[in-house]
Amino acid sequence: MSLELTGVTVAFGHADARTTVFDGLDVTFEPGRMTALVGPSGSGKSTLLAVAGALLRPTAGQVLLDGEDFAGLSDARRAKVRRERIGYMFQSGNLLSGLTAVEQLLAAAYISGERPRAHRSRAEEALTGVGLGHRLRHRPEQLSGGERQRVALARALFLSPKLLLVDEPTAAVDRSQAGELAELLAERTRRDGCVTVVATHDPAVAEAADRVVDMAELSVTGASAGLSGR
Amino acid sequence: MFLALLELRAARGRFLLMGSVVVLVAALVGIVSGFTTGLGDDTISALRRLPASQFVFSSDARSDQFARSLLDERTAAAWRKDADTDMTPLGVSITRGTTNRGAEVDLAAFGVEPESFLSPSVTQGDDLADASADSIVMSAGLADEGVRVGDTLVIDRLGIKLHVIGLTERSGYGHVPAAYVPLRTWQRIRFSAPGSQASAATEIPDQFSALALRTPAKVSTADLDERHSTTTLTKEKAYEAAPGYTGERVTMNSIQVFLYLIAPLVVGAFFAVWTVQRQPELALLRALGASRRRLLAHTVLQAALVVVLGTVAGAVLAGAVGLLVGEQVPFSLPATTLAVTMCTVAAVGLAGTALTLRRVTAADPLTMLGANR
Repeated sequence: MSLELTGVTVAFGHADARTTVFDGLDVTFEPGRMTALVGPSGSGKSTLLAVAGALLRPTAGQVLLDGEDFAGLSDARRAKVRRERIGYMFQSGNLLSGLTAVEQLLAAAYISGERPRAHRSRAEEALTGVGLGHRLRHRPEQLSGGERQRVALARALFLSPKLLLVDEPTAAVDRSQAGELAELLAERTRRDGCVTVVATHDPAVAEAADRVVDMAELSVTGASAGLSGR
Repeated sequence: MFLALLELRAARGRFLLMGSVVVLVAALVGIVSGFTTGLGDDTISALRRLPASQFVFSSDARSDQFARSLLDERTAAAWRKDADTDMTPLGVSITRGTTNRGAEVDLAAFGVEPESFLSPSVTQGDDLADASADSIVMSAGLADEGVRVGDTLVIDRLGIKLHVIGLTERSGYGHVPAAYVPLRTWQRIRFSAPGSQASAATEIPDQFSALALRTPAKVSTADLDERHSTTTLTKEKAYEAAPGYTGERVTMNSIQVFLYLIAPLVVGAFFAVWTVQRQPELALLRALGASRRRLLAHTVLQAALVVVLGTVAGAVLAGAVGLLVGEQVPFSLPATTLAVTMCTVAAVGLAGTALTLRRVTAADPLTMLGANR
């Protein structure tokens, strides 16, 4: 079970105004390993996450999750892939306002077509598992930045996704919490065996990752040669 | 459903505010509808109750026919001969009188042949069939004004004394309660000169306002009208001949139409603002894999709950206003009228929300990535 991008090209605009972000990119992400995408703003971290997360259809190439290519699927089919196989944690605005921490997880279950009420106790366990057993009935505005991101992590992993995509998880979190969150991400990745890709500027997250990909070294014609690993 | 209800709970303040607006719009439409029906009843319910299908008027009366038209027995006989249907003369005029107990009342006097199909059935007392010529059967509206069976009513300025012998159902004409008198008595009321103390039947012309046809004529009424210098109107068309009826209907219906136009705009504007405000959350839901169809269903359900519950509460409020004003004002809101009105309010309200649905599906999940938020 891996995520494989093969010959992926992403370009925006037409003719003179055309901007190419990737041109024939090949990269593979292994299960049970957390990969940190690092690099300056505009280097394509978010675009890579968007393509890998079925949020953006590449101009060309394949995106294979477990050997199945979803790059060319319709909008509705890609939404199905997202809700059934991918977990997301965004930079901010991850949570639905007015809903308690437990309800955030139940909402994800509902979107996936599950009966939310059947998952209540499991949602409570999942939140306890990320250290939020005492915040089950709290709403986003009653949680700190780090706690909100932990709720988002619990929600992303709640339906046991094959792929976990994380965008700047520590951007709105103070230094002391950033390291803990990064360690938690790495630990859950190893435990759950999912493919985890994290776009980050934070050295603490890169430090916790099993592998670091420097986006600045990926040339637009670039391929896996541009990867650095540990 | 689950998420829609959670959102409703989370934003209950906003939805309560919107629901209140829907309640007030629905109540206003219901109240206007009640007044439209009530005023209509006040104007034409006496005509509506007449068991006639058509009315024949003199051709020179082009408006307010019940007041302006005069036919005589010669025309009636000619119509009877040619039309081959049951018909009877009808006199309609508005007058006023004072009872022996001092109640001063306005009344719409309907002159009918006591044995004819227009003679009213009574709910109390006696009918006109075997009564003397100076008898009067009053509708319930006059009882509200203090007239009782057994009273003597004197027509003002004419001095014509009438004995109240019976009570019939509530009915009105031109915002005045109806009362029924023998045709000959009506002719005395209609044609006597004030102060003449008219009593001699011979001085009174044998004329009346219209001929009432029980069932439609079996021959072309256009031909008969041309032949006898008359104008035949269906009962429904004849309502327009009642004083003020058309003007009232146009006014009240215009108000209702404007409310029906305003309701979707108000509801639509609220949901447009609500949808714009929650674009980031819609984008998040899309990113998490929610389908466009689910988001649409989710939004429509929220709108339906707010609009339907608000409309039901508005209907209750309109009904309560109806009960509160009682018989003091012309207000009538039968269940079917209320149901139709409220269904229309709910439908136009939901149509308003439909204007915002495109924005719901347009939420872009890509905006969740990077520093877009």
